[in-house]
Amino acid sequence: MNAHRSFAARADIETILAELGAARIDVPVLQPADPFLDMAGEELRRRIFVTQSETGEALCLRPEFTIPVCMAHLTAQSGPARHGYVGTVFRQRRAGSSEFLQAGIEDIGAAGTLDADARSVDDAVAMIGRLGVAHSAIEVIVGDQTVFDAVLAALGLPAGWRLALAHAFGSDAALAATLDRLSRPAPMPDMPGAIAEPALDGDQAGVERAIGSAMDAAGLSETGGRTAADIARRLLAKVEAARLAPDPALLEALGRFLAINVLLKDAPAAMTEWSAAAGVDIAEAVSALAARTDALAARGRDPQAITYRASFGRRLDYYTGLVFEVRARNGTVLAGGGRYDRLLPLLGAPAPTPGVGFSVWLDRVAETAGRAS
Amino acid sequence: MSIATLAVPSKGRLRETALERLAEAGWDVVPPADARSYRATVRGRDDVEVAFLSASEIARELGAGRIDAGITGEDLVREGLADSEDRLECAARLGFGHADVVVAVPEAWFDVETMADLGEVAAGFRARHGRRLRIATKYWRLTQRHFSQEHGIQLYRIIESLGATEGAPAAGQADIIVDITSTGSTLRANRLKILSDGVILRSEACLFTASGSAPAPIADLSRRLAPAQKKAAPSH
Repeated sequence: MNAHRSFAARADIETILAELGAARIDVPVLQPADPFLDMAGEELRRRIFVTQSETGEALCLRPEFTIPVCMAHLTAQSGPARHGYVGTVFRQRRAGSSEFLQAGIEDIGAAGTLDADARSVDDAVAMIGRLGVAHSAIEVIVGDQTVFDAVLAALGLPAGWRLALAHAFGSDAALAATLDRLSRPAPMPDMPGAIAEPALDGDQAGVERAIGSAMDAAGLSETGGRTAADIARRLLAKVEAARLAPDPALLEALGRFLAINVLLKDAPAAMTEWSAAAGVDIAEAVSALAARTDALAARGRDPQAITYRASFGRRLDYYTGLVFEVRARNGTVLAGGGRYDRLLPLLGAPAPTPGVGFSVWLDRVAETAGRAS
Repeated sequence: MSIATLAVPSKGRLRETALERLAEAGWDVVPPADARSYRATVRGRDDVEVAFLSASEIARELGAGRIDAGITGEDLVREGLADSEDRLECAARLGFGHADVVVAVPEAWFDVETMADLGEVAAGFRARHGRRLRIATKYWRLTQRHFSQEHGIQLYRIIESLGATEGAPAAGQADIIVDITSTGSTLRANRLKILSDGVILRSEACLFTASGSAPAPIADLSRRLAPAQKKAAPSH
């Protein structure tokens, strides 16, 4: 409430949302818990307030807006829309308040993804500026999942390595641990004879048959989980990784890519330079990044004030491209956003539906603005 | 003079072994005259009393500060009480009631040997099967800590299982389990295997006290019980 009051003096959030051309949307505070747990994972359960309906359905106080706004969008069955929202979100914490004021815009269904990406970054920065934080007091950091995916593909890494690295992307600690693990020879998986024989021959069908009979014996065949084909594919990838001497040059190249941390305007050149040194082709990903940078500049947003970090990402599997954060100079995250083209299909959209959006932590913005004044 | 309260499991082998161990340490617990009573005394002492509680309730009562000490399985304390490492002290490991809380997957998952393997499988699970990897367990807290905090695995759902957890994969209720095992024979019978880094907790019966200063009779009991752990050290 304090944040809300202090903002009333500076600018009305609703006015800002209207100025940014977003249509106001309201979503209930009480939400079904399952979509949040399905999307973010079980770890979220400790951090949300869960209760039960009379019929036993798990409900929670909304911990964020993106998922409820997307679900409301799907229910309304309307066309592309830019939804603006402001309200309280609820997160469990050991100490301090559990209620936080957020505002943001979710841009759902827009076909021009580069423009929509640029607009989302621009809107987040504009909103924070309108709330009284000087542009000189913030920094914007962007990353891009598609560039990382392109690099993994271009380096020609074994399938098992790509899976492991893609899984770790978004956490510096997990990436470092994965790179370290891959730098050592992988052990040959422990297999019984009936599996080892076809596996060492690279006989996928034979491996599948042997796994299938083990699954039959355990009553696992019709349970709708992993299939013999899934297991065989991963097992053969592990066998391949165990036989392949790890190529230090590949991992070094990947390490150098992940260390790229430059002004956004310099990012395409830095990546072109990297790809030339590594001897790989990621021209398509580089030109997409350059086009998005141009789109930001076309909006009057100075790419000088934006940093590109190659290792910056989110460990949520519905984020698909751009991710960004706006931070105060002391590191406080004032806003976070990104492109989530996988989210709406996961929530039940009948056709591919892209989305990009951001949320601003209003309490933190108020504190930052207050400190500056 | 205040009376220190020690809680002991109210039934089963845990109760019998705990009472034997207390007797060896010089605490001769006198069964209550009324068999339905949950309170007992210790022969020749008026500064202590014994409360018989269910093994899982002991963790809660310790956390709430309503008893001074309790003998119970470590798994129940770690699972039943948030921040038990900070709030309770394991004053003596008692060398009985051994059981491991483990992550077990189907034997047929020949490609999954470690938590890192499982993390990769979990990451790609929804894309392949339209739902998250499901874990059957009654150990919510231990599972979340092992998966999320220690191994950075977020993408899974917990299916609460209050009995016969090891049957959940074959029944199609879950893909893998987190459960307690002492010999592993039940897991093998259900064609499940423990991941190489899948032991979450090596549990045994312990004397727990609230962190900080234990009342004198409890501190004395800890010292008497502690040497027992060498004698009874597990052979595995």
